[in-house]
Amino acid sequence: MSLINENKDFGVIAELIPNNASVIDVGCNDGSLLEYLREYKNIDGRGMEIDQKKVQLCLAKGISVIEGDADTDLYDYPDKLFDYSILTYTLQATKSPKTVMQQLVRISKKAIISFPNFGHWKIGASLLLNRKMPVSKKLSYSWHETPNLHFCTINDFIDLCEELEIKIEKKGDLSNKKLSNFSGKNFLDSYFNEVGLFLVSKD
Amino acid sequence: MSENKIVTLAEDEPLNLDGGGSLSKFKTAYTTYGKLNDEKNNSILVCHALTGDQYVASDHPITKKNGWWSMVVGPDKPIDTNKFFVICPNVIGGCMGSTGPKEINPENGKEFATDFPVITIADMVRAQKLLIDYLGIEKIFCVTGGSMGGMLVLEWLSKFPEMVHSAVPIATATNHSAQNIALNELARQSIMADPNWQSGNYYHSDKKPMKGLSVARMAAHISYLSKEALQSKFGRNLQDKNSLDYSFDANFQIESYLRHQGFTFVDRFDANSYLYITRAMDYFDVSSANNGSLIEAFKKTQSKILCVSFTSDWLYPTSENKKIVKVFNSLGLNVSFIEIETENGHDSFLLDEPKFFEAIKGFINSTFENL
Repeated sequence: MSLINENKDFGVIAELIPNNASVIDVGCNDGSLLEYLREYKNIDGRGMEIDQKKVQLCLAKGISVIEGDADTDLYDYPDKLFDYSILTYTLQATKSPKTVMQQLVRISKKAIISFPNFGHWKIGASLLLNRKMPVSKKLSYSWHETPNLHFCTINDFIDLCEELEIKIEKKGDLSNKKLSNFSGKNFLDSYFNEVGLFLVSKD
Repeated sequence: MSENKIVTLAEDEPLNLDGGGSLSKFKTAYTTYGKLNDEKNNSILVCHALTGDQYVASDHPITKKNGWWSMVVGPDKPIDTNKFFVICPNVIGGCMGSTGPKEINPENGKEFATDFPVITIADMVRAQKLLIDYLGIEKIFCVTGGSMGGMLVLEWLSKFPEMVHSAVPIATATNHSAQNIALNELARQSIMADPNWQSGNYYHSDKKPMKGLSVARMAAHISYLSKEALQSKFGRNLQDKNSLDYSFDANFQIESYLRHQGFTFVDRFDANSYLYITRAMDYFDVSSANNGSLIEAFKKTQSKILCVSFTSDWLYPTSENKKIVKVFNSLGLNVSFIEIETENGHDSFLLDEPKFFEAIKGFINSTFENL
């Protein structure tokens, strides 16, 4: 997955998380988000990462990390073990986004999920005008080499949450670094947010 | 390099054993490397496997070979003895100087032989705890070991959780599967079927159960390697021959290799110790003191843990190691897990596996920095 400029998202994610929370970052990469949250929010963090090189980087940073797969290994955690689960830029690369989302809201009280919005106007325009699969900074892979399996739009995500009876509490606008309460589908978000970021939960 | 040291423990009160009975004034042979710092917070306890011993990083007195983990423990090694104080004791029941079947029973002045009590992994850990007390260490920075060593690590986490800051159990299991027990039983039966075993009383005899012990080692050695490793190393290659010789001599390289492993093993290992230690491994179930509940067994554990498995290990496979991770996860512990890809089978933890070394080093150093 492309993680270009992702670090700029850390602050927005941190705003959603209270001090001293327990957090699991699923697809935690080299552990830098967990490290950031440990520094600024004093969280008790855990990571899960499928790529062993990145697991090694986490270990060297002192981050507790499980070499594992979001599709299969979230079942190992008991209900509501964590205060927060985080899934950034990973949902579209899972085999079953639906079950991964169900697992996230099962193992944590609240889940923060971000994904590239396939409904962004540039993507639509690229398809419409060039008749080619879009390649951009956020979606940096060509169609034949992408690890991404399930692209969705912000509206698709909202529909899936509804279907799974997952409550969307907040939405984030990463370009303006703004968080706001969620109040249903929104034309501007679905067209102009390159990334969807949501805080969700299910009792 | 470290000198072998021997200390007598349980001088005032005996060590009570799981099987009933006790050991008093028992000996523990051990080595240490590096220096214990003033805060006494830099100790690493290394637990050896079935046929390992205290010579973790110094030359073995019998085989003259490098210590069994000399690639891992030493100055500037993944477990850096410039920084850490490493302790490696020979388990009780062993045969390199700790009290075991070949040592003298103080009660009658004769070798214990099969009068030695059947001991458990938990007994070994209780004995190790007395050594740690003797060394004046209240909290061990890290307890680590592979295979049976990993069982000892798990038992430490369960029995003395407050004494363990961090732990690295490697290629191990919370108990033995039927297959594990079967392989050990095969080994024990081959020892006991050797007429030279003489019901265990061979210490003063010219005849020792070398054939039986050697076959036991051959069988075990197969279980330490993967099919792929055996195939790529030996295949069907012939040993010093151009064609089959239609005899039962070692025709294939693999036969010759296993025979060599068997023959050299008997020089350094005691057949009765092999019986006792394999028994302890078969009896091991870290949940047994807690009515079979692994959650209960580790309820008081607060340690930071790294579990390691190897892809081609079929003796203590990834699935068994993941079971341990799952328990620690359920308890919300600070647990990490890594599966090293290798074709070297169970033996991988003793071999040159750079990714394995990197993981241990990363975990231990970062944990020490955050102490």
